[in-house]
Amino acid sequence: MLRSRWMFVLSLAACLVFSAVCVVYPMYVIRPFRAQGAQELAAALVVSRYRGMATVISALAALAALAAYWPAQPVRWRRILAAVGAGLVCVFAILARINVYELMFHPIDRATFAAAGKSKLDGGEKVIAVLVNGQARAYPIRGMAYHHIVNDKVGKTAIVATY
Amino acid sequence: MDGQRLTFHLAGINNQNFIMRDDETGTYWQQISGLAISGPLKGRQLTLVPADELTFATWRSEQPQGTVLNDVPKYVSGYAKQDWDVRMQRTTTVIQFAEHGMKARDLMLGIQAFGASRAFLYDRVLKEKVVKDHVGAEPVLLVAGEDNQSVRVFRDRIPGIDAAPDFYRLAPPKPGALLMDAPTGSEWNFQGCAVSGKEQGVCLERVQAIKDYWFDWRNYNPKTTVWGK
Repeated sequence: MLRSRWMFVLSLAACLVFSAVCVVYPMYVIRPFRAQGAQELAAALVVSRYRGMATVISALAALAALAAYWPAQPVRWRRILAAVGAGLVCVFAILARINVYELMFHPIDRATFAAAGKSKLDGGEKVIAVLVNGQARAYPIRGMAYHHIVNDKVGKTAIVATY
Repeated sequence: MDGQRLTFHLAGINNQNFIMRDDETGTYWQQISGLAISGPLKGRQLTLVPADELTFATWRSEQPQGTVLNDVPKYVSGYAKQDWDVRMQRTTTVIQFAEHGMKARDLMLGIQAFGASRAFLYDRVLKEKVVKDHVGAEPVLLVAGEDNQSVRVFRDRIPGIDAAPDFYRLAPPKPGALLMDAPTGSEWNFQGCAVSGKEQGVCLERVQAIKDYWFDWRNYNPKTTVWGK
């Protein structure tokens, strides 16, 4: 009985560490004002790609370990500590889905456009200008420097404007 | 890509150039190059759409029927301030390339064409107004617009004419004409098209250039040369 309790605790701890690494490692590597090396960036991106699913599996495993540990552990504070640990694993599963970059720089959900002659934009403002299949489109740079990305369609052609 | 529309989101940063991720495949793409760097489409390349960086007034005069992106009202307060480019000059960089006496945040016009990469100091191009140079073995012409902010790059050849065009700037510029070429005496506008003279209606071939900080241009163009250096 004692041995199996330790197994559940170790499983829970492993899930917690695994999920924490999945969330923290990409955030640590891919952050502004820090140089990124090619290999660490590649590793961080692989972790980012799979962490959504991986942290969900980890959370399910943690909850399963908690469900097995709870009846086997008579000491109340240890039960609570295990529950907190499992809860943290679930929190990491949620955090793994949050794009912190889009919290800082909100995307444009639905871009709208004004005719050139009707826009109130100052003449001295800089724009990124494209001509796609004869249709002209301009993206003001000061706004683009905030949103960074605009998924757009000019006529029938899908483009993405970036800055 | 391959007939599938991709929807991109900001996903990270790589030495101060951002990374984006598409919803459809989960692939990560580098903004400056349009190259997929991780994920199912790794190694694939987005097609670059030729673009200019112009003042709105210049663009509107050329494209009165065009459309311009509206501000998003709830985020306007977060948009870059008028002097954002001055403020950016004070921001540190995480990588530096102290070659050719360049500073990390020197603003460059970078050209990657004809098998070569070459960078031009933006402020110096504006000062010169007309720059004749080469990228690889090809002659190129950099022209500053009348707004003294916009710059375009052309192949320095008039289609069908072997002689060097020897463009020079009209002083003062005429309405709708900025340059004249020596062989034919035709006048050319900022779009690189002849508006009068023997070559009227002929347009020079555009060469794509991007405006970028030296450290970023150099990071992705390690073999770049620099005009004047």
